[in-house]
Amino acid sequence: MRKRITLYSLTFSLPLLLWQLVFFVFPLAFLVALSFWTVKNFRMEPAFDTINWVTMYGRSVFWQSYGLTLALAAGASVLTSILAFPCSFAIAFKLTPKMRQLAIFMMVIPFFTSYLVRVYSWQIFLSDNGIINGLLGLTGLEPIGMLNTVFATMIGYLTLCFPLVVLLQLFSLMFIDRTLIEAAHNLRCGRLRTVFEVVIPSARVGLVVAALFAFILSFGDFVSPVYLGGGDPTTLSILITDTTKSGQQWPRAAVIALTMIGTLLAVAFAAISFAYKGRGK
Amino acid sequence: MQNEPLVTFNGVIKKFGGFVAVQKLDLEIHKGEFLAIMGSSGCGKTTTLRMLAGLDAPTEGEIRLSGKPINDLPTWQRDTPMVWQSLALFPFLNVIENVEFALKMRGVGAKERRSRAENWLERMQISEFATRNIAQLSGGQRQRVALARSLVVEPEILLLDEPLSALDANLKVRMQSVLQGLQQELGITFVYVTHSQSEAFSMADRVVIMSKGVVEQVGTAQEIYRAPKTRFVAEFLGSSNIFSGKCDGNGNLETAVGKLHLPKAGTTQRKGQSATIVILDTRAHLSVTQPKGDVDFVRANVIGEEFTGATATIYLEAEDGSELRVQKDHETLAALPINVGQSLYVSWQPNETHLIPDV
Repeated sequence: MRKRITLYSLTFSLPLLLWQLVFFVFPLAFLVALSFWTVKNFRMEPAFDTINWVTMYGRSVFWQSYGLTLALAAGASVLTSILAFPCSFAIAFKLTPKMRQLAIFMMVIPFFTSYLVRVYSWQIFLSDNGIINGLLGLTGLEPIGMLNTVFATMIGYLTLCFPLVVLLQLFSLMFIDRTLIEAAHNLRCGRLRTVFEVVIPSARVGLVVAALFAFILSFGDFVSPVYLGGGDPTTLSILITDTTKSGQQWPRAAVIALTMIGTLLAVAFAAISFAYKGRGK
Repeated sequence: MQNEPLVTFNGVIKKFGGFVAVQKLDLEIHKGEFLAIMGSSGCGKTTTLRMLAGLDAPTEGEIRLSGKPINDLPTWQRDTPMVWQSLALFPFLNVIENVEFALKMRGVGAKERRSRAENWLERMQISEFATRNIAQLSGGQRQRVALARSLVVEPEILLLDEPLSALDANLKVRMQSVLQGLQQELGITFVYVTHSQSEAFSMADRVVIMSKGVVEQVGTAQEIYRAPKTRFVAEFLGSSNIFSGKCDGNGNLETAVGKLHLPKAGTTQRKGQSATIVILDTRAHLSVTQPKGDVDFVRANVIGEEFTGATATIYLEAEDGSELRVQKDHETLAALPINVGQSLYVSWQPNETHLIPDV
């Protein structure tokens, strides 16, 4: 039997549908269309020309930047997940309920401040005359060039992703059935081994989703690679701004943006299917 | 020594904050016996089991396994596998991987692991589900996986925490016979925690009855049923008429329903000593007229009837409010006017009662 469309059901579903159309489908469609436009004398003209795709995909700079952005985002995702896990594990299993509430609250606080502001404050720490090098100087050590390196970019990605990853991991760890952990201990699985044999497999979906979010956030991030990494090496987000600035090449920027969206969709799909792999139907 | 106990609880106390879950537990569990620990929820039975498994540490006292104290041994160094009420099967592993888990933890090689696990699946008649997900199994199949997972390491003792409580009645009876068969076949010790009398009495060699952290009685099903040691046990079993009162020194007990004879056997009771007598519902009789001869009787009104198959149990209420019960076959009951509110005499032979002297 087909469901009848009633005014009642429309009241609830229509706003969502409209929202999706106006703010997601239309812009995306426009972006696709834009990628086939041409630019003549710094003016964009509607057209259907594959020249932008051919040009961009033919450039080694683009592919270098693509590979680098992918590697950086993957690195940030893995690093954040590994660093966040002991933290979320401790909050989920070692703290009393009261302390756990407090810890969750503390993890929300970073979201109060703009990410840009937090990145600027890192500059104060990392720059050549910054706080860390100042402290090193006091102990008589040579200053280390930290700003405008991949290391600083990573610090920025961690700043962006860490609190969210901890929260996402935490919520998956908190819902693990404790008797599973007891059962593992009971079957001679020691404490550390239980983490790998039982805790991580049990929380797999949440852990993968957390890592996926870290990947998505870092992959598209513009702030850290520019203000901490110094724009070198060039990530895709930097490449987009460069492309738009140089000769009004919005159509080429659209090609980059669409490639990024495609990549994120593929990664997200792969991650989610990995997360649910082997689960009962 | 031939009869060295496998497990000994020596004055074991367990407190959770201010709450005393287990008070001064002394208990011996023998090799190869099927021991059931029974009681209502919060009586300390599960805590006792968890202390034996090493999941809770005793506050005081000592637990010995095969003669060695195990208080300080973490659970992953004990060989006390447990079957949980929730079964606690690993949902991210398939059936055979679940069964292999304990072997893997012991460093058994992949090949031997697989063959031993397959053996157990066959034994539990679940071979065909070896590669299934846990979520795809029925309740009874999961039960078998849980048993295989614990037994695959061939332990000396198996702990079971109300494993059958989630099953429907038919399956429960089937699994009871599976459990009993396994225990006899393997000759290992089963410690079985339950709140169900029928499970405990039908399977166990000995039953421990606990209440509020204290062991009320330990014995075979027959012993406990025929001769409950405390009023609590008699009430818990729920198949007796129970009267408490004070002895008058002449072989009678003054109770709220009148003067009743104490059973002839046993010691004479001092005047003024309080005691309880228990009459099994199968030993009590019903009549419309006042019974004659050397019997005790109480007049009471019918308040209800419960059909229990070949017999029925009639519930009555005496004038003082105390409840009585009589179990009879249907022919006997057909001759009696069993209507709610009908006044009848409940009678019994004084020497068929059981006496519980108050301590």
